Amino acid sequence: MKSYPRFIDPDKCTGCGQCAQVCPVTAINEFDCGLNLRAATYIQYAQAVPLAYGIDRDSCIGCGLCEKVCLAEAVSYDQRPSKAKIDVGAVVLSPGSDAFNPAKFDNYSYLKYPNVLTSLEMERILSASGPYQGHLMRPFDREEPKKIAWLQCIGSRDMNKCDHSYCSSVCCMYSIKEAVIAKEHSNVDLNCSIFYMDMRTFGKDFEKYYERAKDEGINFIRSRVHSIDEIGDTGDLSLKYVTAGGEIIDETFDMVVLSVGLEPKESAVELANNLGIELNHNNFIKTTDRDPVNTSKEGVFVCGAFQGPKDIPQSVVEASAAAAAAGEILATVRNTDTKDVELVPELNILGEPPRIGVFVCKCGTNIAGVVDVPDVTAYAATLPYVVYTTDNLYTCSQDTQEVIAKTIREENLNRIVVASCSPKTHEPMFQDTLTSCGLNKYLFEMANIRNQCSWVHANNPPLATDKSKDLVRMAVAKVGLKEPLNEISLNVKQSAMVIGGGIAGMTSALGLARQGFKTHLIEKSPQLGGQANNLFKTAKGELVQDLLADMIENVKKEENIELHLDTEVTGVEGFVGNFTSKLLTGGEESEIEHGVATVAIGGFEYQPTEYQYGNDPRIVTSLELDKKLIADDPIFKEIQTAVFIQCVGSREPDRPYCSRICCSHSVEAALEIKEKNPDANVFILNRDIRTYGEREEMYKRAREAGVLFIRYTVDQKPEVVIEDGKVIVKTFDEILGRPLEIETDLLSLATAVLPNNDVELAQFFKVAMNEDGFFVEKHAKLGPSEFATDGVFLCGLAHFPKSIDESIAQGQAAASRAVTLLAQGTVKTSGEVASINPMLCSSCGICVAVCPYSAPNFLEEGRFAGKSEINPVMCKGCGICVSSCRSGAISLKGFDNEQILAMISAA
Amino acid sequence: MSEWEPKILAFLCNWCSYGAADLAGVSRMQYPPNLRVIRIPCSGRMSPKFVLSAFMNGADGVWVSG
Repeated sequence: MKSYPRFIDPDKCTGCGQCAQVCPVTAINEFDCGLNLRAATYIQYAQAVPLAYGIDRDSCIGCGLCEKVCLAEAVSYDQRPSKAKIDVGAVVLSPGSDAFNPAKFDNYSYLKYPNVLTSLEMERILSASGPYQGHLMRPFDREEPKKIAWLQCIGSRDMNKCDHSYCSSVCCMYSIKEAVIAKEHSNVDLNCSIFYMDMRTFGKDFEKYYERAKDEGINFIRSRVHSIDEIGDTGDLSLKYVTAGGEIIDETFDMVVLSVGLEPKESAVELANNLGIELNHNNFIKTTDRDPVNTSKEGVFVCGAFQGPKDIPQSVVEASAAAAAAGEILATVRNTDTKDVELVPELNILGEPPRIGVFVCKCGTNIAGVVDVPDVTAYAATLPYVVYTTDNLYTCSQDTQEVIAKTIREENLNRIVVASCSPKTHEPMFQDTLTSCGLNKYLFEMANIRNQCSWVHANNPPLATDKSKDLVRMAVAKVGLKEPLNEISLNVKQSAMVIGGGIAGMTSALGLARQGFKTHLIEKSPQLGGQANNLFKTAKGELVQDLLADMIENVKKEENIELHLDTEVTGVEGFVGNFTSKLLTGGEESEIEHGVATVAIGGFEYQPTEYQYGNDPRIVTSLELDKKLIADDPIFKEIQTAVFIQCVGSREPDRPYCSRICCSHSVEAALEIKEKNPDANVFILNRDIRTYGEREEMYKRAREAGVLFIRYTVDQKPEVVIEDGKVIVKTFDEILGRPLEIETDLLSLATAVLPNNDVELAQFFKVAMNEDGFFVEKHAKLGPSEFATDGVFLCGLAHFPKSIDESIAQGQAAASRAVTLLAQGTVKTSGEVASINPMLCSSCGICVAVCPYSAPNFLEEGRFAGKSEINPVMCKGCGICVSSCRSGAISLKGFDNEQILAMISAA
Repeated sequence: MSEWEPKILAFLCNWCSYGAADLAGVSRMQYPPNLRVIRIPCSGRMSPKFVLSAFMNGADGVWVSG
């Protein structure tokens, strides 16, 4: 490993930014895509973690000012690159991707006209922390644009000038988002137009967003813009394009956004080559649908956009999947390199009057340069129960921690206030100091006099000093009322239950079992495999039946998996770490105990009522077609014409989502038919072809093979009639501008994927379903494979329609997330949780209804049966129940009414 | 000209608005020093009691953000 020097020691740097303020150099701010300037001493962005500055030595003039002003002595100009060697058992590659650079091609006029931007530049312009503080302006004259055009597929789905043949997967959605946000930020009735080929909003809830954008007046124009010209010296841009009807239009826009795609980073390609890892022809890592995160080298895994173009949720799924894959080979050495922290026995301070110590930080000159720190410190000494005050140059430095610990012991302090920066960054560190000398870590409070005072009131020192005094007074008032809190820890049962024996469920069970945990795999039907039993090939051409047979064999021979076929879950009790579930197997009841659960109950195919389905054996659904392909039905040798109709039951008013996989499926099946009989006429009637990512190349191959793609609109759907024993499909071709009639030997309906709407199971685990019947994950982007309810995980079609490789990745991801709990052995609660006084509880059930984490429950037995109780293990301490409780029975430790009211009256 | 300045009590959610107030500092955005921030674990913690108490204790405005 080689680490490049940053010339400022991140361990010493306090993130104060003094160095950047004195730096005389102005350099281009790459993070703001060159729309802004920065100093040579800089942080990339305000949210950076760690918040530590670095020096860009390419633009640094070596004046030495930053070293002079850095009171933390973090600057060192003579740092050299360092090399290190670490022993690891597995490697995960997640280098990400680059945005396509449109400057390479003159037709985009990107370098020529200042108001032609990339979508990444548009992101920065729209960002509150961006170059224009979120005000919508165009770079040329800082005027507010009234009309903006987005051009899709820049660098994607285009081989014209040696750019990329694949679809970048993310651009349609981000362009809609940018247009919606631009409209929100604009002071005028902003006119937004998105020029596209196919609108690919195939993700969960994406189609709804697309519909919403249409309702908000965003124009979607299906056309590839031919040329961009600037009009005189106005900065305005004229776009020439042809409509679907063949009309040539010349339209003027104030700004044009190029929706650039993703491409592998050159440095990542070099890394892969150095490691001897195979890449595909697009320079993404070569993977299979069977093992989506495995590279060609054993022990090396990949996730994110270096595996193929993808969005955040899928990247997060793969990241967890790669962790599971690495975890499988490392399971036997788990915790062999960890060290235990020595615990200091806790002091009992109950019954003692508060003895508060206040430490006021100067933060170099960051606070002291604005706020009169000695004055604040002296003021703190006058507050009730304050027995010790001091100020520090840097309260967060290591030597100050020793001083604080020593002071706590010598002065017998039992409550601590630090007036410095933000508790969000520094509270855990100070709490460690308290713990190290036996003081309960919750006897602590911070007053944020830097981020929320000296930094934002730099021009008003007297008032900033007054405000600091107020903030210290509020913190002191609160800390006096704080009590030592316990963090309960509970054992996690070292076993798992996976519900659903399809691809996702089996993968998840294998992942758990191979990482050493006993796993119960529950399948309702007598056989494993779920929908995969009906599928022919994956998008990469792998035979699903082979893959499935191998997977089933692996499940059956895996010692840690206990298979329960023909079994239903009839009841679940308990919570994270301690579940007991009732199973019903062929009329026989049994009970299992498990620490975690994964829901992988899958989905099924919509049975159409439209397009004459059921009235003729030549009219089939996608899965019925696959069954014929698996059986190598001789019919394929005979058929002269085959027609596919897309979006059957999807993207309709009563089922508004896109089923994601049907376009790729039909294109793949069409290719298969063409291969068996190259002379066959194959038509795919579609609304948009959504072969996202590298699946786009399959679409290209299908066009090359002569498959005809004919578009229809939702207001003018195809019609199917059966006349004289013939199946005839009637549709309107908008390019030819006339109706078509196709007599076909085979009509395949690309039917929607429906969820197994298991309301009972949702209630067992107290997890939510959306209006389409799919389970709602913890977080759409960052928590796609788990529920908000702790200890319950999610994968496969039950989450949303997805392909085999995506189901496998999410099965691995759910296993990975579950192992993070199982491997710890215990769950530790926060001390800051809600609790109910049963004497005051009126059993109204509001808390049970409002809690997003299912923490409150009614007691079923004992003296307080019928009253509500909060499970501290599941409580996240949000306090919704506290504010909702009409009886005033609930209190939230650490943020209790008295504590907050004390702050209010001290403010 | 009156020199009166309002005192505004802000109840900020720990996860979003409080973090945003920190970021405003990192970005050195400047705003008038009339705010006094109380960090709460979630805007769901907000209670009408706090608003009434703030006004009873002399606040001129209450801002809840989350």
